[in-house]
Amino acid sequence: METLLRVTALSRSFGSHAALSEASFSLERGEVLGLLGSNGAGKTTCLRLLSGMLAPTSGRIEILGIDLARHPLEARRHLGYLPEHPPLYPELRVDEYLAFCARLHQIPRRRIATAIAEAKCRCGLEDSGQRLIAKLSKGFRQRLGIAQAILHQPPLLILDEPTEGLDPFQMRALRGLIRELARDCGVILSSHLLPEVQAVCDRVAILHQGRIRFNDYLATAQPIYGWRLRLGASSTVVKLTDLPGITGAVVMGEDRYRVLLEDGVDSAELARQIIQAGFELHELVPERSDLERAFFDLLGVEEQG
Amino acid sequence: MIGAMIGRELRAGLVTPLLWILLSVGQVILAWIFLQVIENFSGLGADERVATLTQELMLNLFGFAAVIAMLSAPLLAMRMLSGEFRDGSFDLIDAAPIRLSQVVIGKFIGLLLLISPVCLLPAVNVLMLTGIGDLDFGQVATATLGLWLAAMLFSAIGIYASSLTAQPGAAVFVAFGLLLLFSIIGRAESLTATTLSLFGWLSWNEHLFWFLLGAVRLSDLAYFALFTALFLALTHRRLVNRRLQ
Repeated sequence: METLLRVTALSRSFGSHAALSEASFSLERGEVLGLLGSNGAGKTTCLRLLSGMLAPTSGRIEILGIDLARHPLEARRHLGYLPEHPPLYPELRVDEYLAFCARLHQIPRRRIATAIAEAKCRCGLEDSGQRLIAKLSKGFRQRLGIAQAILHQPPLLILDEPTEGLDPFQMRALRGLIRELARDCGVILSSHLLPEVQAVCDRVAILHQGRIRFNDYLATAQPIYGWRLRLGASSTVVKLTDLPGITGAVVMGEDRYRVLLEDGVDSAELARQIIQAGFELHELVPERSDLERAFFDLLGVEEQG
Repeated sequence: MIGAMIGRELRAGLVTPLLWILLSVGQVILAWIFLQVIENFSGLGADERVATLTQELMLNLFGFAAVIAMLSAPLLAMRMLSGEFRDGSFDLIDAAPIRLSQVVIGKFIGLLLLISPVCLLPAVNVLMLTGIGDLDFGQVATATLGLWLAAMLFSAIGIYASSLTAQPGAAVFVAFGLLLLFSIIGRAESLTATTLSLFGWLSWNEHLFWFLLGAVRLSDLAYFALFTALFLALTHRRLVNRRLQ
């Protein structure tokens, strides 16, 4: 695989406040990297540094082997960037705006019309070419922001909270689009939504207080960490832990529990034990969210029901 | 690249009402002054007149047009950088493979083209007298050139002020402050006892005055070119520094 982006010991301080410290990671072609972190963790700073809009205090960024600090124009040619707020001009029409973006990214004149049509098609904006940007809804603005980022078919795509403001249908469509784009380019996206990152990313880096605390691939077959139960009114946690095969149980709410099983015990066995003990079993749900656990474990916050 | 920047600024300037309002208000004011000058001039006997009609019109009409251009430039410039910083649309340019010098030049030329109609307004008024009065067309052309050069300086100052803050209102006041300073700095000469005319040389109205009298002097051309370049260079510096802050 080809390395699209290599970041080495990247740091950025604003005065005495270190927004990002010693971040190092790389991105291969065909990979989607999710940058995860709470508000103020340094996600946006990191992405602004990668797009060349901020100069790093120290460290090095290479895009397709080109040093961003030494050859900024050449490096940025391979970059598509969607900032936190889509950078739109309300007084222009969609087509005019995209034509301006195409010229900014030096797409040859004869290819501009095709590039615009393709980007609009990918983002579901085919019928909006003549609409005024000021009149677009938030979801459409976000789509247009994505369209300008992919217009020149960059090998590296940086998306800062791309699903912000989208409805569930658009979110799903965007996930599909990102997976499709990732076939021939690399994508970095930031988010504070765990399920979104889990759904679309191959790899996750968790940022906390400006440092990368976790950087690993997400396994496709996620291990089950425990089971969530909802039982009838007569249940108590003490009775539940007494059942064979259960190593531990935690109360999550009224008649709700989270249980951990011994190795080799499966859900059918658990259900049988619960019924035999005379409880009413209303719900039995596997808990797969390893990323969520990693996130909260790293941040030192215990997950609350 | 610069062409794309200019095209976008022109488009944005022409589809929003600000320029049209400035042109309409400017024309109303200039028409009023035009009428006054004509009335005063025609009321005087041939022996009472101290200047020709063209000279009277140049000094009054073009002098006022310069003030209108001075007020227009910061208003038109505030949207170009300050407004874009505020709306976040500058991120598009900032992350694109384009030099910041190209951005500054593109925006400056765009602003200059937008403000050019304001500079042509007094000439249009004066040219209505063609065939009726005795006009010196050479002087009208020189005065228009002078006004346009002054507008060029105002635009550069406007763009610089616009690069300083993400608050367009504040940017306008910074520009007004700078422009007023450059207008009144010549008066300092009379306050000091020195014979050094540096302060007089610094103020733009001293230089415009010679153009209005019909004289194109190299020193005046140099003044406008020099200060325009200075403020554009400062704007570029400011945009580079934004990335470091």
